Amino acid sequence: MKTLTLLIGLAVAATGVSAQADEAMNDLKIAHTAYTAGSLDIRYAHLALAISETDAVREFAQTMIRDHSAVNEQAGELIAELDVTPQDNALSRALVEGAAAKRAELTGLTGVNFDCAYATNELGYHQLVNQTVAETFIPAVTVEPLKLLLEDALVTFRAHEAHAEHMVADLQCAS
Amino acid sequence: MRELTSLTRRQFGHGLGTVLALTGLPRPLRAHDGTHEVMVRIAGFAFDPPEIEILAGDSVTWINGDLAPHTATARDGSWETGPIDRDGEFTITFDAPGTYPYVCEFHPQMQATIVVRPKAVD
Repeated sequence: MKTLTLLIGLAVAATGVSAQADEAMNDLKIAHTAYTAGSLDIRYAHLALAISETDAVREFAQTMIRDHSAVNEQAGELIAELDVTPQDNALSRALVEGAAAKRAELTGLTGVNFDCAYATNELGYHQLVNQTVAETFIPAVTVEPLKLLLEDALVTFRAHEAHAEHMVADLQCAS
Repeated sequence: MRELTSLTRRQFGHGLGTVLALTGLPRPLRAHDGTHEVMVRIAGFAFDPPEIEILAGDSVTWINGDLAPHTATARDGSWETGPIDRDGEFTITFDAPGTYPYVCEFHPQMQATIVVRPKAVD
């Protein structure tokens, strides 16, 4: 799975995690990874609410919690309806490990340093996830309800990516 | 005001849209001939249609087709729907003429406008 290997490589590059994986992604693994990605972003958001005092950052974080919770709730309902169990996999594990390392890094920051690190990570994270969902997950999924859910979720995630892009620009993190 | 079921609201909205399409009328959408409810669908992080024109006493119903919850919130804070979950809907009646720009409180890039015209006196 050349494409998956590339994506895991991107995840590793984005998170600094060392991971090796070369496994096929079936519907259950895709469902697991998509759900995991949403849950990890919710954890990032809770960290932001605990540390940041910037309104724009806090509002973004609240939106991430609200939206990803809604998407994952729908995913949970679909999983229950299909009576299946999502499968853990190398990409999910790479995301989890990378997020743990990133949270440790963010926890040591305050003020504008935290805001910019969080905002920049949100932008990169959504870019990575959106690319994965659009180019790998949706084309590979065989169960139609899961494909429709991913397509709907991608609309939400792309809005988040655009929002994160504006947040990074407004915070003037590059300067 | 005539009570409409959810189904008839959709039929009304679709029917009105079809009539406008057939007659070639451009937006904004306008409700007339009595008191009506006009449907605004929320999909793809956008209000559709983004601008509507109604008469005082008419109502607007927002229906959310997105996974994410949304609101319709007046920019001046004078009214709001509160959170509307997926497939949920909320109706507000507009009695006072005016122009009402509004946004989604959760996703401020989502913007739209309601223009309320005075009701004609017979």
